[in-house]
Amino acid sequence: MQVTRARASILTLPHGTVNLPIFMPVATQASLKGLTPEQLEATGCRLCLNNTYHLGLKPGQEVLDAVGGAHKLQGWNRNILTDSGGFQMVSLLKLANITEEGVRFLSPHDGSPMLLTPEHSMSLQNSIGSDIMMQLDDVLVTTSPDKARMREAMERSVRWLDRCIAAHKKPDTQNLFCIIQGGLDLDMRRECCREMLARDTPGIAIGGLSGGEAKDDFCKVVSTCTEMLPDLKPRYVMGIGYPEDLIVSVALGADMFDCVWPTRTARFGNAITKHGVLNMKREMYAADFGPIEDGCGCPCCRPTEEEGAMGITRAFVHHNAAKETVAAHLLTLHNVWYQLNLMRGAREAVIEDRYPAFVKEFFGNLYPDRNDYPLWAVNALKEVGVDLLEI
Amino acid sequence: MTVDTQNEDSRAMRFEVLKGALKDGVAARVGRLAFARRLPIDTPNFIGMTSRGTVPHVTPDNLGKHLQTTGAYMALEDFIERPQRYSKRTPPIYGTPTTSKHNTRLHSFTGMPQSTTTVLSARRIPAVSSPMGNTNDSISVFTSTGFQALTLKEYLSAVEALDPDVAIPLADLTNKGIAPNSKRALRMAERTDEWVVEWFASLSESTTTASSTTATFAPILPVSYPMQWEYISRLAEDYLPTGQLSGLAVYDPDLLPDLAEHAPALLPLPRLSLSNPPTPHHILRQIALGIDIFTLPFLNTISDAGLALSFTFPPTPSTLTPASTSTPTPTSASTSLEPTPGPQPLAIDLSNPAHATSLAPLTPGCTCYACTAHHRAYVHHLLSAREMLGWTLLQVHNHAVMASFFAGVRAALARGCGERGRFAEAARQFALAYEPDFPEGVSERPRARGYQYRSVGGGEVKRNKAAWGKLEGEVGEGTTRG
Ligand SMILES: [Zn+2]
Ligand SMILES: [Zn+2]
Repeated sequence: MQVTRARASILTLPHGTVNLPIFMPVATQASLKGLTPEQLEATGCRLCLNNTYHLGLKPGQEVLDAVGGAHKLQGWNRNILTDSGGFQMVSLLKLANITEEGVRFLSPHDGSPMLLTPEHSMSLQNSIGSDIMMQLDDVLVTTSPDKARMREAMERSVRWLDRCIAAHKKPDTQNLFCIIQGGLDLDMRRECCREMLARDTPGIAIGGLSGGEAKDDFCKVVSTCTEMLPDLKPRYVMGIGYPEDLIVSVALGADMFDCVWPTRTARFGNAITKHGVLNMKREMYAADFGPIEDGCGCPCCRPTEEEGAMGITRAFVHHNAAKETVAAHLLTLHNVWYQLNLMRGAREAVIEDRYPAFVKEFFGNLYPDRNDYPLWAVNALKEVGVDLLEI
Repeated sequence: MTVDTQNEDSRAMRFEVLKGALKDGVAARVGRLAFARRLPIDTPNFIGMTSRGTVPHVTPDNLGKHLQTTGAYMALEDFIERPQRYSKRTPPIYGTPTTSKHNTRLHSFTGMPQSTTTVLSARRIPAVSSPMGNTNDSISVFTSTGFQALTLKEYLSAVEALDPDVAIPLADLTNKGIAPNSKRALRMAERTDEWVVEWFASLSESTTTASSTTATFAPILPVSYPMQWEYISRLAEDYLPTGQLSGLAVYDPDLLPDLAEHAPALLPLPRLSLSNPPTPHHILRQIALGIDIFTLPFLNTISDAGLALSFTFPPTPSTLTPASTSTPTPTSASTSLEPTPGPQPLAIDLSNPAHATSLAPLTPGCTCYACTAHHRAYVHHLLSAREMLGWTLLQVHNHAVMASFFAGVRAALARGCGERGRFAEAARQFALAYEPDFPEGVSERPRARGYQYRSVGGGEVKRNKAAWGKLEGEVGEGTTRG
């Protein structure tokens, strides 16, 4: 009997194959926060994100074309996924507004009015040369009470997908993913799924889950969508990065995730571990000569006698947190490794048919007391046949 | 010639002069400094400058992989701060356990590769001048939590605990950048003399119990020879014969000719320059004066400024007559990089938009990681986007350029150390081939808000402009929720 909807699969992309499920670190401006592409590759990363909005500003489309795309720019020979640029305009620029034509906003350079259309987004992403590109969608926070506007956004996203497909110049070397919208309205999500599936893109994203919604609602949306999606296409839940969210979303049948949280929190001195997030700036770590996380296989933590081990201690990270960039680099390395390794473990568990046990162990490590298990996770996992509270 | 400064079991340092003109006093020479369990350092050479135990922007894995630097200068003041709420705590570094991979506390705490030779001193270079001044048994040091006194006793026990390969005893310096008057100069020498006596007395006590392998490089003060002749004589007469003195830490290399004249016994010792030479021209001059090893603070500053070193030693024909092919197409007249006749720049400013689409290595022919895996366009982008990796790549490149500069120096010296030798000839060419100073980088600095840059005298201008509204930095990153 199959318990949970977790899947292990292999995604073949222009710059090599990728094992799913996967967490994709976000190299916003064609750089992963101080790590060299070589260091990133050594964590096992085979697919990372670049942000279209940022690359459109710097270095700009002209430079991207002259250099020959983002892979060439950053010396990264593995895969890249880019967003459409739309979300960042809407979330970063208060003055953005959306019309049928596209997203209107004021240029951060000179304040002049600009317009991001589906065609322009495709053109930018073609210049970037990402292996996976995202359609421009009409993003609305899921918690918006305006049903009519939500429907408009969903339907417009479908129309914009058609314009993206028409404008996409390199369909044989770049994969365009659609994005399912529809807020928290499950019927609207289903309707959107049907429309998007009819366009037959190589992959499917579930969008609009901004983190503002209740986790129960988040899980229902993911679950509703994955139920309808074909087995042979990757499913990408956008903007998700907390370990619990990853583990539950995998159980619900999702394959791909991205989030800036692991790298951003590293710069604030935080280490992600299986027992939770530890802030290395706290005085209690000043003379703690253990690794950042016991048992971690990253180059900072792995036992010193092993090849490539640096022998980094919590004390050293504490010593330099917020003082030297190296501390941030080391924590970034550890956190990225943690996230990728979590997904590697999930994949192995799925392959060996023991994902439920993996999930239980994960939550057991995170919460010493069962009573602290988040209810949303307990409920969502119960829906797919895993009872977290069962002894 | 070989100087075995110590007998084999107690001390593990060896310094050999392979080629040099010892008889004629001080002059450039080729040598090799080797410590047990560390990679030998071929001299003349430089060691990396650390900040808080790390070469800025370079993680230990990259250090081992991409920097040829086999030595690291560390300042104790980077490790002994007293946070206000924990002012009584023992500096954590003293309690670091050692491992099979990191056999000293200093290596272990900092994750410095085991093959790297460590040099411990009390203060950074350049040291921030203290308003408190030194006392008869302590100097004032600058930690991340402010100025504090470092006693000779604490420094001695730090050396014992951390077990650096080289330790530089306390020196009574003013760090003011101007020469002290003769009364102060005399007191500097007297105090330093007393401290060095106490230093060796204490070390010989501790070596009877512990097997310390630390080599002492005695400070030579930046005051005229007559002011410190007694102190220098003591080094030569009392501590050289006993084998306790292993090298010299020279704050002013111009004293070397006096030393050769008055204390020739000290000449076989390795000489480490702590004089903060501002350019490679100064380095060449100090090499000619007989310096073996350099600490080069300008490397970190240059990388932070977005500059990529662009010189070679000896200067290559193409630097004497620049080829326009290696120059990116200028995007506008104001950013023109057209080769100009005359001296070439010592570094190129990668924040210059002229590099925006250049797929060329940072400098032609460089084989460092930054130049082989990346190109100018990427570093330019990283600087312009204020991404930390830009400074990492510049550190890798700039350390590589410096390493090959010294390799070139050694090769030239091997073919002739004298006034008419290959080295002297190439040094003259170098002076003509390159501009006297580094260009001033316009790029924004990474650590300008760090305590290292705290202005003591005040009056510094704010270097980095305010971030642009909402689009930059933390807020500007955003996620991709679609
Ligand atoms: Zn780790
Ligand atoms: Zn280079």
